[in-house]
Amino acid sequence: MSARFHFAPAVGTPLCWFSAATRVGAALDPVGREGMTRHVAELARRGAGGLDRAALDSAIDCLGASIEVEVDRDWLSVTATCLERHLDRTVELAASVLADPLLERGEHEMLLRESLHELDDVRDDDASLADRHFHRVCSPGHPYARTALGTQESLARIELAPLADYHASLWAPEHMVVGVAGPMTVARAETVADRVRAAVAGRTGARPPALDVPPFPPGRRIILVDKPKRTQCQVLLGHLAPVYGPGDFVALMPLETAFGGLFSSRLMQEIRVARGWSYGAGCRMSKARAPHWFRMWMAPTADHAADALALTLSLYDKLAAGGLDADEFQLAIHHLTGALPFASATARQRMRLALRHDLLDLPEDFPAQLPALLAALTVDDVREAAGRWLRPRDLCIVMVASADEMVPRLERAGSPPSEIVAYDSY
Amino acid sequence: MPWTTEITHPFASALHVRRHRLHNGLGLVVLADAGAPIVSYQTWYAVGSRHESPGQTGMAHLFEHLMFGQTRTRPAGEFDRTIERTGGDSNAATWVDWTYYRDSVPARDLALVIALESDRMVNLALEPAVLEAEREVVANERMQRVDDEVEGFADEELSRLAYTIHPYGWPTIGWMEDIRSMGMADVQRFYETYYAPNNATLVVVGDVDEVRLLELVERHYGDIGPAELPAEKRVVEPAQESERRRRFAKPTPAPRLLRGYRAVDQAHADWPALSFVASLLSSGPSSRLHRRLVIEREISLGADCDVGPQRDPGLFRIATQLTREHQAEEAEAEIDAVLADLAERRVDDAELEKVRSVVETDYWGELEGVDGRAEALGHYQTTLGDFRKLFEVAERLSQVTAEDVQRAVRTYLIAERRCSILIDPEGDDGGGVRDDDPSDDGDDGHAAARDDQ
Repeated sequence: MSARFHFAPAVGTPLCWFSAATRVGAALDPVGREGMTRHVAELARRGAGGLDRAALDSAIDCLGASIEVEVDRDWLSVTATCLERHLDRTVELAASVLADPLLERGEHEMLLRESLHELDDVRDDDASLADRHFHRVCSPGHPYARTALGTQESLARIELAPLADYHASLWAPEHMVVGVAGPMTVARAETVADRVRAAVAGRTGARPPALDVPPFPPGRRIILVDKPKRTQCQVLLGHLAPVYGPGDFVALMPLETAFGGLFSSRLMQEIRVARGWSYGAGCRMSKARAPHWFRMWMAPTADHAADALALTLSLYDKLAAGGLDADEFQLAIHHLTGALPFASATARQRMRLALRHDLLDLPEDFPAQLPALLAALTVDDVREAAGRWLRPRDLCIVMVASADEMVPRLERAGSPPSEIVAYDSY
Repeated sequence: MPWTTEITHPFASALHVRRHRLHNGLGLVVLADAGAPIVSYQTWYAVGSRHESPGQTGMAHLFEHLMFGQTRTRPAGEFDRTIERTGGDSNAATWVDWTYYRDSVPARDLALVIALESDRMVNLALEPAVLEAEREVVANERMQRVDDEVEGFADEELSRLAYTIHPYGWPTIGWMEDIRSMGMADVQRFYETYYAPNNATLVVVGDVDEVRLLELVERHYGDIGPAELPAEKRVVEPAQESERRRRFAKPTPAPRLLRGYRAVDQAHADWPALSFVASLLSSGPSSRLHRRLVIEREISLGADCDVGPQRDPGLFRIATQLTREHQAEEAEAEIDAVLADLAERRVDDAELEKVRSVVETDYWGELEGVDGRAEALGHYQTTLGDFRKLFEVAERLSQVTAEDVQRAVRTYLIAERRCSILIDPEGDDGGGVRDDDPSDDGDDGHAAARDDQ
């Protein structure tokens, strides 16, 4: 099976973008070796095509280009940006990262050390820390609950020996999608894609992971991530959402927009504009191949955290029970349809959009179908979808705050934490 | 004719940027490009935190928040609802030399956004309750970006240390006590002083008919009178005579080092060479500092260099986050060795060519979309008085020589011009602050404040 191909022509820029992606991502990590997909993908970037890390870095930089690895739970990509005059050499180097990585022991060990330092970096940033813990605790047993970066323990179990076979199994034509954008003809873009296809021809791919979704835990759980000397509290609340695509996800898009996707949305108006409790507040459904998270977020001061949480829960109760009013619904529909050109304004965006939808097993023209799908919705459709998916009684709540200050406040508010974990424990 | 067309300049393939001026002093920079049915409509006001006074720091930024409130013709919330109903979005940013408002809308809604922006230029209705709510929001923003964020804290402390009298020494977001104390009369006076057509430039990039645009802008802004702008106080920061250092303990897992060298303003002939040096040191994994600190010595997670694009002399910054087993002093020694080598030995042609390619790619990357193009044009027009400086700087960057690099390093990246902020992980002693240099008497600082509302 040949890798699928998307091309977006550009004018007015000498830049080209090239992306090779595969439909297997961090959710494929072997149990106990979380972080392995990311590790091997990054390791391949550190020496390939007979060039060691220094030589490969230098070869890429000399072109003024970049070759970046990105790892999602559903997919993995290698993306290059370069000037048009350097396209052929850049593609050659990117193809070697996919097909001919050195996977040297010294770099393997150095990368494991770096990943531990990146864990420190995540813990240093409160929003990233909240995100990491939310993934961990939202839906235990869900394939997306696993960390893409890994843990101290899982990284220690990653050995070099199996990585070459594992890497080859990731980059097999049957799972691959290639995207090209830039000031060129489709024939030239096809040549670029052919170069990549040739590099991985004949490979057999890893079986994509089963994306079985376990039952969501009942009840409200508050997990307090204890970090000293916080003046603020990062809060994430959520549960499972429908899979991205036609159906309930589209039906909930107006709700997501009107409740927390705009400055004029309910959360922003009540939390920020009316009370000044947080710099921002919003909500979002994640786009993935399996049901992923619906999340609300805010960052109130420690003084206001308990009140802000109570207000958010009350607003969410009301949303789940009543859905949107007619004005909110209309504004959301207008916004969602009017916003589509912004997501595909440049060649790079168009290529990326097509690639992502392909990776999620959606038709390339799904974004083009959205206006009709949204136009067909009624406010009752949204309310019914909300009834199927919004779970105000079954919520995972993660708060990053200083426990000595926050626990008494939560207890006074009648919402004591169900679990307190140290910020550097995971 | 109400308009004067001042400049026409080519842009990329067959496009042109034009600058017009309305009779009341309003500037208009237009880049018509029908590549997508959208428009970036930006209003750049030549007012930033440099125009504030001690005791009222953060005024420009707080005021930016208030600009999204009600006007005499539109109730609270209508501005955002109207933009969002189109499918577009709006945002704003305040920095030391400017404040700008961005509306990204479908091309068909150009007239709507012109009506909204011209209205709030002159009709903003400031209310005490709104001021109080936004004061809380800004206080929250400051906690998020400075008090609970080590990088933001270090940035603020660096500027406080580097500038003793210049307004670049205080943070754009303002000191907390100033945010807490600003009054209605202060913000009203600020609005009346600086928000006027003769202190603003509209930058419009996207799918527009330029003739119709001129008609619409003239119709909506033509009756707004110019303001009497105050003469700007020119503050010259005294020369620094020796290195300044401060050391802090923060609840963070690993040390950080942030250096700032007193550099030049963006119009200065040496600015491109310093910008080139920043790329040479930290752009790409084979850059000198990244290679030395991250790969060879394994003491840092990364290195980041830049030179401030400001109207008055800014700082050449070097920032690095160390790994937990290492100390900031180790990074200092390595950075000093890399800079000494650059000062002593001429950069070879291959490395020069490499950095030229990196700079060219970065330049076009920033100009990829309509918002990026408008922001670049607006910055140069507002900071340096001419959008064409964008193209001049790019040209000068492509002409930087090995001698330019060596001279810039020898002149500017020296200990006498340096301020250093060292952050240590907080120990059991509860942390604190220590001046490494008792001669330091700086008491102000700055940090960029960018809003996403």
